[in-house]
This record gives sequence, structure tokens and C-alpha cells, in this order.
Amino acid sequence: MKFETLMFLLTLFAPILGGLVYGVERIVKARMQSRVGPPLMQPFYDFFKLMDKRPLMVHSLHAVMGIMYFIACWFSLLVLFMGNDLLVAVFFHVIAVLALTIGAFSVRSSYSVIGAMRELMHMISYEPLMVLMVVAFYEVVGSFNLKDILNYQGIPLFEIPVVFIAFVLAIPMMLHKSPFDVAEAHQEIVGGPEIEYSGPFYEALYTGKWIEYIYVFFFVFLFGGSHYWLGALLVVLVFLFVNALDNASARLDFRRMVKFSWFVLIPVSALNLIFLSLWR
Amino acid sequence: MGIFSKFRKKSPWILHYNTGGCNGCDIEILSALAPKFDIERFGMLNRGNPKQSDILLVTGPVTKRCRDVLRRLYLEMPEPKVVVAMGACAHGGGIFRDFYHVENGVDNIIPVDVWIPGCAPRVEALIDGMVEAVKIWEKKTKEKEYMRNHSEELLKKLGARDDD
Amino acid sequence: MKRHFDIIIVHFKTEGSMEFYVTASIVLPWIAALIIYLAKNDTVTNVLSFLMLPILGYFAWEVYFSNTLPMLIETPKWVGSLITIYDFGLLGYFLYQGMKNRSILVSALAILQLALLVIVVLMIQHSDTADIYVDKLTAFMYMIVAIIGVPIAIFATKYMEFDEKGKHSFVAILIWFLGVMNFAVSVNNIEWFFALFETTTLASFVLIRFRMDKEAVNNAILALWMNQIGGVAILFALLMLIKTSGMYHFTDLLSVDPKMLSLAALGFLSLSALVKGAQMPFHKWLLGAMVAPTPVSAILHSATMVKIAPYLLLRISPIIKGTLLAKLLIITTGFVFVAAAVIALTQDNFKKILAYSTISLLGLMMLAAVVGTPIAITASLILILFHAFAKGFLFVEAGVLEKVFHVKYIKEMRRLIEKAPLTLMFIFFGFLNMTFVPFGTFIGKWLMIEEVSGFLSHGSYILLILYVGAGSAFLSVLYMKVLGISVRKSHGIEKIKLTPLPLRFNFVSVWYYAWLFALTIFIAPFISTQLVPIAGEISGGLVNIHADGLSLIINHSTLYFWQIMGALAILLLIHALPFFVHFKNVDTAMPYNCGEAFPRHIETYNFVCISKYESYIIAFSVALFIMVLVLGGGLL
Repeated sequence: MKFETLMFLLTLFAPILGGLVYGVERIVKARMQSRVGPPLMQPFYDFFKLMDKRPLMVHSLHAVMGIMYFIACWFSLLVLFMGNDLLVAVFFHVIAVLALTIGAFSVRSSYSVIGAMRELMHMISYEPLMVLMVVAFYEVVGSFNLKDILNYQGIPLFEIPVVFIAFVLAIPMMLHKSPFDVAEAHQEIVGGPEIEYSGPFYEALYTGKWIEYIYVFFFVFLFGGSHYWLGALLVVLVFLFVNALDNASARLDFRRMVKFSWFVLIPVSALNLIFLSLWR
Repeated sequence: MGIFSKFRKKSPWILHYNTGGCNGCDIEILSALAPKFDIERFGMLNRGNPKQSDILLVTGPVTKRCRDVLRRLYLEMPEPKVVVAMGACAHGGGIFRDFYHVENGVDNIIPVDVWIPGCAPRVEALIDGMVEAVKIWEKKTKEKEYMRNHSEELLKKLGARDDD
Repeated sequence: MKRHFDIIIVHFKTEGSMEFYVTASIVLPWIAALIIYLAKNDTVTNVLSFLMLPILGYFAWEVYFSNTLPMLIETPKWVGSLITIYDFGLLGYFLYQGMKNRSILVSALAILQLALLVIVVLMIQHSDTADIYVDKLTAFMYMIVAIIGVPIAIFATKYMEFDEKGKHSFVAILIWFLGVMNFAVSVNNIEWFFALFETTTLASFVLIRFRMDKEAVNNAILALWMNQIGGVAILFALLMLIKTSGMYHFTDLLSVDPKMLSLAALGFLSLSALVKGAQMPFHKWLLGAMVAPTPVSAILHSATMVKIAPYLLLRISPIIKGTLLAKLLIITTGFVFVAAAVIALTQDNFKKILAYSTISLLGLMMLAAVVGTPIAITASLILILFHAFAKGFLFVEAGVLEKVFHVKYIKEMRRLIEKAPLTLMFIFFGFLNMTFVPFGTFIGKWLMIEEVSGFLSHGSYILLILYVGAGSAFLSVLYMKVLGISVRKSHGIEKIKLTPLPLRFNFVSVWYYAWLFALTIFIAPFISTQLVPIAGEISGGLVNIHADGLSLIINHSTLYFWQIMGALAILLLIHALPFFVHFKNVDTAMPYNCGEAFPRHIETYNFVCISKYESYIIAFSVALFIMVLVLGGGLL
């Protein structure tokens, strides 16, 4: 079928796909810890249960921000799939972070405020790296357009390998996984920005997280170029790697996260870009 | 709604609170999350905050300092909710019965649905009690439930109505 | 490369109306200011300042949409002599102020400037080139002054009634300054430009020390000597230009082969632009200027006066494009873009945060101007326009906060949403305008990254992408931090009370809001029909931006209209809806604090870890600055 229709259907069913991915992740995590783990459809059972609770909120600004986070995440996915420009899609993601942060700042709870500030630290860490990655794609493929990247005959992975590794190491920052899950540190701040949401409002946040999974793993898929099997293989390998890293490592504090991103990941990606542009 | 409540039993989330006991029951709860007994197969997660949990699992005799904390946690949980009292201390004080600093058991503060006997109960008994709690929870509706001696003065004393 | 405009010298006899409009835009504000100053009457002040809006707007409109641009206007010889005499008088006044306030720097710099000016006047040769040059860029600046500058004067008429002294002289000086600004963007003669540069310094000096307390006077002296350094730089540049090539008009410089010009002179000119634009290490004067009354900060230091810096760089950008000077300027201004955003995180005075954010975005504007390709120049123009709107808006709201709610510091902004919801909504919208999709500032940054990705083989351009990415991330964090502390509220929504604000404040706020909103919806046709011709004229190349309906297309990348509308809708909902929506049937609960009930007093992060490094940042910027001058200017 046509490319646009496929992308539109993908966006429409993104929460369901994201739920399945999240369910698979919980099973994978459990098996890595030699447990059995919940059934595959567990995120959807959570969804139904949360919809059935009596709604409870702290104040309505906070509740509205939860819903706006979900809408902003879904819209940024729509822009990524159906839009023309990868760079714009990266910047749309900041609106989602805005909604979450303003909501979390607006309650008078210390966990929420600290979590919101740490969420901003996350954004400082991964956002310049994403811009650099998109520019790297432009260097390799010659266009910012999604269709051109998906039709590119070469393999971007072999031309910008260091950028790929840097992005994979930055995925824990975007998905809130160890060792970079400072915003949602369970033992420290009991959930961070999402702590005051309950019932249907928490469901909006939960589904927003599923959509972020799809958003992030789609960028990994793009590293395969037009060889879709390679892209899918990369997605599976990166998925397993990220979960293994999550299970195996402890949490670093936010200063180390920012320093790691700024002094290690960004310089090596920039060096890769310079080499690539000099080579051509 | 009828259709949603069918799925309710598939994902109960727990809030665990220790009101001053000896931690024996808490170690049993921790081992329930571990690989051998693994209650995540039932979809149960140990969430840290009351707004996102359904089952309040209380251990320990309620010391006088924990009394208001327990009340506030109970008030912050959205309905439908279930309270499970675990261990002999939560039943009537257990080994600490009639001391100067305990209320004798959880039932004097908040209404309890399931009692898990033992000192400390084995993990199999805990899982049995949780399954029983889920069965009771399935039948509950969304209307409000109240603490023991619920009144406006009590709410004001707890700070649940004011803000500064 | 011959420029095309040196054959279009229009005889002013046949195009008298255009000359009338230009002269009126310059002289009319001066006359109005004189009337306000002499009359000292409330009604006269209010009515006259309100009338300037349609009048100046009409003149700017006529100039902008006329078909005879670009044009050179001849002036009689006595104007030149008058300006030279005025120049000497001005420098004498500076010397007098330096001696009166016992400031060695001011006096020394004034004596140096007098000496250099004498040398210049003696060395200057007669030239036939006209002294006033009006092209589309000038008309663009006229429009900015009319639409953004005049409402601030209207705001000032009400602001000064909240127990401030000297309302009439204040408003008179503001309106006089608008005329000076119009004059400064129309001159072709670099010696006259120096006179006007120093006049803007004078305006800055007089307005900063308006309240006449000790801190204000000290900050005024600081602003004076720092801007005098810029003046000295222009005089050096003028000397070198006259000595090496004998030309001292912008149009002459643009019409000869760039290799014949002395790069050192251009280096000094860009140095003066860096000083006026308050780049590091010359940023202290802009921060100190925040003690002045808020309309001063709004007009001078964010919306109009500091825009002379990117304007100057836009004038000389075709000459320096691609040279080593341009590359060093990119590194310096980009560094200031990031460093100012980082240091702003440690500040706790609301106006100082806005000042740092201005310094930061001025760096970005100058960066875009210096890159020099057609799309980059369009980006610079977009940034100039939208930054002027947004910062004017934000400073107006800061003035409202200061006078009506007595809030100056961030820690007093805690729970502002309960006291001032409408003002907070405007501040929210102002901040959203500075970094988020789909507003103008974002489009400028997007254009820069798209353009520069095309030629990444030189290291400084990769650094540019890093700068833009990092700077925008830090600026977003800054704005979210400030917004976060103000939206915090207790868990009842019934307690919001609306303080009625004066009509003039509301008028100015709604004026800016409506303009920003309308420009954002129609941003694609606006850019492609209005700003692209200006950029094409400056850079002489074809600008590859056009609008397809309401979507913006650049070089095969598109920002669709549904994306713009979607982002706008979501952002509107985020900043406006929560004030009006109440969930009625939902229970409320207290925030989670492990079940305890301690009193909650939560402030915000102050980033002390950055303020330890502030001195290193400033030292590094001094090093970059010296490199620009020495290496870029070819002095070695």
C-alpha cells in the first residue's frame, strides 16, 4: 500500500503497538532476572484497571498537563511519520517534555519538583545529541526527508557507526532506564514527575510512555537504510541491550549523566561527522 | 463499568506500609517479589505511592505515631481499594499487645478486608491472602469508603482539608 | 562584484514624497518629544504618544511598500557640518560627565575619542556619495520601531504614574530616541553612523541613571565607558578605511571588490557591533542597565537599540562572508549564545534573566548574519523581528509585575498563578515564543541548522550546529525553570483572584499577543513575501524559501501547515486552558509526602555548580575576542 497510508495507520495504532512493546519488555526483564513475568497483554490490563478507578487529582492544572503530555507525544509521533523533515520531529518532542515538566512543577510536593528538574537535566543530555544525529543522517543520505532515508541504498550504520553507538547509549536517558533514570528514581524520589497522577490521568502518562518507546526505536530502525531486515535486527538487538543494561547497572546521579553526554558522547559523534564530511 | 471491571483482577498494584513492626513480615513480602515466588505473574507491582495503588498491605501494630500517617495514606488512595492486614501484630497487636505506644491492630483505624494470620506468615499464605483480596476487590464499586471515626474535625486535624 | 544599486540614485525632486516620509520618520518623533517635554501635561503626553503609533506606522508602511527602494537621498552640506559640530559637543559632554563623576575610564576614553575624531575630520576627503541610504532593510527596521517601539512608550505613560518622578521628561526622551533609531538605520556615511552610535550611548546613559540613586549612576557610567569602547573601535575603523581606500560610505564599500578593503577596519567595525550587542566580555553594561525603569529595558535593551549590532553586521556581511574574520566571529558569537544561556540559569532576578536571554539571542542573530548565505540572512531577519516582539512583550509584563504585584525576584514569583493569572499567561506565551515550535525563533534556528548542514567540511560549522543545539536546550531549561516556579499552587482552584489591571497595560499586552499570534499563523506567506526580498537584496543571491499555501518550504524540507496548527493548538491548550478549566466532579487529594504533613516551602534550583565556572567562561570569551580582533582583522 502507499507509504503515507502505512505511516498513518502506524500512527493511529501506535498506542497498541507501544503497549505490546512494553509488555514484551516486562517479560524480557523478568526472564533476565530468572522470573516468569506477567502475561504479554499486561499493559492493556493496567490500562483497563486504571480507567476504572475513581478519578482523583491534586488540582486541575496538573491533571490537564497529564493529558496534554499524551497528546503531545502522539502528535510528535505523527509529525515524525507523516511529516517531511526529521529535524522538526526532534523539536516537537520538546513540547511533550514541556507539558510533563510544567505539570510536575505545579504541585507543592518535593518529589514532584525535584523530579521535574531532573527531567530537564535529561533533556539537556539527549537533545543536542539527537540534533547531531539528524545532521549525521543528512550528511550520509543528503536529505532530511524520511522517505529518502528509507530508500537509501547504502547502510547508514557503516558510515556513522560512532553516532549509532552514542545514540544507543543515550537511549536510557530518553526512556528513563538505568543507569540514567534519575528522573524516575524509585528509591530516591518515588517516581519523580509522575507521582501525583492517579487513575485516568496516570493512564494518559502511561500510554505516553509507550508512544515514546515507538518514537525512540524508530530512530534506531532508520539506521538500516532501505534494508528493512537490518533495521529490524538492529531494533531487536538494541532492545535486548538496553534491557540488559537496565538490569545490570546502578543509577548514576544527574551530574554524571550530563557530563557523560557532554564530554564523551557529543565529542565522539562530532568527530565522526567531521571525518565523514572530510572523506566525501 | 461492567466491561472494565472484568479486567480489574489482572493488575492489582500494592502499597506496602510497615507501622512499626519487627520487619519479619516485610522480609516475607520482599521474598514474594523475588524469583522463587514472583507475584509479578499476577500483574502485581509494588508501587511506592498511594495514588497509584489499589491494595494497601499493612504490617505491624499501629504505633501512635503512625496512626495519622496511616490515615493520610488511606485517604490518598482512590477507590476501589482493599486493605490487607498481614501478621499477628496487625490483627490485634500480636507480640506488642497492650503496650503503651500501640493501638491494638489496624482495624481500629481503617476498615480491613482480608486478614493474613501468622507470625510471620509464610509466603504461600501471603499469596493466598492476596488472591482473596483480589476476589473481594473485583466486587467493589467506585463509591467512597471511609476511615473509622470519620468526621470533619478528624480531617482538619490530619491536614487533609487545609492548605497554607 | 558590482552591486546593482549604485546606478539607482534617485533625484529627490521627482521622488519628493519618499524623502518626505524618511525625513518625517526621523524628525517627527523629535518634534513630538519636544512638545511633550515643554508641555508637561498629562493629556498631551498620553494623546501624543498614542498618536505616534498610527503616524509612524503609516510612514513606515509607505516607505516599505514603495517601489523605488533602494534609494540614496542627498542632503544639503550644512547637515554634515551640523552633525560634526554636534559630535564634538557630544564627546565634550561625555568628558564633562566623566570628570563630574570622577571616572577615569570615561574621561580617558572621551579624550581619546576627541583626538581620533579630530584626526578623522582632518583626513576626511570629500565624497560624492549620498549620505542617506534607504533600502528594504531600513524599512524593515522602521516597521519594527513603529510597531514594537511605540507601544512601549504608551506603556511608559502609565508605568510612570506608579510613584515615579519625571514622567514627562521620561516619555519625551523615549520618543526622541525612536527618532534617533530611525535615523541610525538610514545613514550611509560611517562618520554620521558614529555620531548616532554615540547618541544611542547618550540615550542609554541618561535613561539608566534616570532614578538618580547611587546604583543607577554607577551603572550608567559603566554603560557609558563600555559603549565608548565601541565608539573608539568605529573611529579606528574609519581611520583605516580612509587611509587605505578613501571610502567611508556603506554603499561604496559594498560596490568594490572585497579584497581591496582592509580587513582590519572591518574587524574593528565588528568589534563595535559586539560591544553594542553586549556580547561577552562586554555584557556587564546590559545587566547593570536593568536597574533602570522597565520601559528603558524594553525599548533600549531588547527591542530596538541593541538590534543595531546585528543590523551593522548585516550591512557588512557580503564583504566579510567566508573570510577568516567571519569564521572567528561565528565561534565567538556562538560561544556567547551558549554561555549566556548557561549563566542565566544561576540568576535570580527576573529582569536579569531576560537580559541574559537577550544577550544569548543577539549572539545567535549575529552568528546568522555573519554566515552570510541567503538563507542564513533570512534566519537573522526572522530572529531580529520575533525576538524584538517577544522580548518587548516579556519586559512589558515584567514591568506590570514590578509595579502592580511588587515582584522582582524569582523567589517572589512562587505561586504567582494564584495572584496574577492573566499576567502569568502572557509571560508563558512570551517564553513559549522564544524556543518552541512553531514560533519565529524556532524557525530561525531551524533555518540555520538546515543551511549549515549543507557545508560541514569546515570545523567551525559543526561547532555552529553544536552551539545551536546546546543553546536552545539550555534556553528551554531556563524558561521551564522560571515558569515552573510560578505555576506552583496549592490544591484549591477557588482561591484565584483577578486583580484589575490598568487599561493601557492591557492594551499593550494584547497588542503584542495579537501580533505574535497572527504572525505565527501566517508565518509562511509572511516570510516568503516580506523577508525573502530583503535577504535577497542584501546577499545578492536567490533565496530558496517559498510558501506553499500556509506551509513553509526550504530546500526541499517542509514545515507543513498542519504541523504549525497542531503545535500551536497544543501550546495554546497548555498555556491558556488550565486557567479556565475546572474538573467539577473529581475528588482532590493532598500531594504525596510519605503521609507526613510538614509545611511545604519549595523553592527552585539555583545551579551553584555553574556559578563557580563563571570566571573561566568570561576569561575564555576574552581570549576569543582578542583572537577575532588580531587574527580576523589581520593585524598580525
